[in-house]
Amino acid sequence: MNEIIFTDNLGKQYQDLVALDGLSLQIPPGEIFGLLGPNGAGKTTTIKILTTLARPSRGTARIHGFDVVRQPLEVKKLIGVCPQEINLDRELTAFENLWIYGRLHRLPDLSARIAELLEFGNLQERADSLVRDFSGGMQRRLLILRALVSRPRVLFLDEPTVGLDPQVRRQLWSLIQELGRAGITIILTTHYIEEAEMLCDRVGILNRGRLIALDTPGALVAKVGGYVVETLNSGRRQYLLVRDKEAAYARAQTEPAGVIIRQANLEDVFIQLTGERLTN
Amino acid sequence: MNWFPIFYREILLFRRRLLRLGYVVSALFAPMLYLLAFGLGLGKRVAIAGGSYLDYLLPGLIAMTSMTNSYTWIATSMTVGRLHFRTFQVYIQAPVTAADIVAGQMLAGMVRGLFASVVLLGLGLFLGSGFHFNLMFILALLLNCLVFAAFGVIVGMKSRSHEDTATFTNFFIMPMAFFCGTFFPVEEMPWLLRDIIKVLPLTHTNHLLRYPAWNLESLGSLAILGGYGAVCLVLAILIVRRYSE
Repeated sequence: MNEIIFTDNLGKQYQDLVALDGLSLQIPPGEIFGLLGPNGAGKTTTIKILTTLARPSRGTARIHGFDVVRQPLEVKKLIGVCPQEINLDRELTAFENLWIYGRLHRLPDLSARIAELLEFGNLQERADSLVRDFSGGMQRRLLILRALVSRPRVLFLDEPTVGLDPQVRRQLWSLIQELGRAGITIILTTHYIEEAEMLCDRVGILNRGRLIALDTPGALVAKVGGYVVETLNSGRRQYLLVRDKEAAYARAQTEPAGVIIRQANLEDVFIQLTGERLTN
Repeated sequence: MNWFPIFYREILLFRRRLLRLGYVVSALFAPMLYLLAFGLGLGKRVAIAGGSYLDYLLPGLIAMTSMTNSYTWIATSMTVGRLHFRTFQVYIQAPVTAADIVAGQMLAGMVRGLFASVVLLGLGLFLGSGFHFNLMFILALLLNCLVFAAFGVIVGMKSRSHEDTATFTNFFIMPMAFFCGTFFPVEEMPWLLRDIIKVLPLTHTNHLLRYPAWNLESLGSLAILGGYGAVCLVLAILIVRRYSE
């Protein structure tokens, strides 16, 4: 048992909707693992099952050897969760939010821990302000800090930068990278390609509840060809994946109209695998 | 047991709301209105059960107010916290048991019920009402708060929308407020209705707050309230334990 997260044939069905269909994963400790996929692909469902919020319909999931269904309390002690929606108490202060969370985890010396975290997240001056007065980026940061109060072994980030402007997004990325360097295992979901490429050691691509690819971002891109030749033919944009730069030049020569040659990315991988775009 | 942080969060929110003047007025507006309108209007002129109407009304209003205040806040805040703000999910993902969650929420509901009762009691005394205050009175009041706070947890867990909560309130809470002897004796009702009413918990709270004597009848009422409390509590814990999205 080397992996910190293990799932086998994990599935979740809601009435007539299959949200997750046979997910099998092993994630080693210290990895930043990304789940990439469009809305409704099963990313959030996976996080909900791994964080004991949803019971799987079939299969097993273990965190550090503890079964999420049969040993939920042991699992909860090891994890920190940042859900997609900011579920802080808006009518309480930043300090109170962190304090109550710490007490739920029965932590000693809470005040020192909270002061340290607020400083780490650059929120020390807002400790006693009500959360409802915080900007979106500050609320996101506090949400991540709250998940860190209990020094989790595994941190779950569900769409951590959704709806944030580019500058704030970059700040959060460096925060997440810093946590990764500190050795925390991080599972993050995203439908932003740059985010997955920038942060993740490995990426699993989900579509309609199924895992359709799993590898490092570089290997995933290399598999479909390293370069893309984009052409515009009578108003329709077409993408052609080629092995290398030379092949791209050669292909570009034959095009009568203008072309764009660029490096392939995870979006191209997704299109290649599903025939659909990742983002609308 | 680790119910304290859950309880403390509710109390912090309660305290913050309390400082805004609007809360006390809105939570206690209806019972104060009843007390002033009926209590002063009929107060000294109508004699009921061997005393003035004001003396009859005050314990009934305390039973009703402790019920609604214990119940309403918990039912609404859990519904909204679960469906809208999703703050409830933090508890599910934290290492606390279902019993911790229910106990923390329920105790916070009881504090609200007791707070409202004390305010109303003060107002009643100020208006010149007399009533019997003893250990039985306190036990009955506490049990009443417990029953309806636990019921509030059940409704808060089961409502599928904000309107759902209102439906529960209209079907269970409102009829009890009017039929269970708050404003007039249960004996005035026709026989079938009377038998139904005598099974409902608030009827027994009303009886105990009015005649808090240590006799067999009162102990029976106390036991019935305790039974309701135990059933609601166990049900609430089971529902929270089975929670899954």
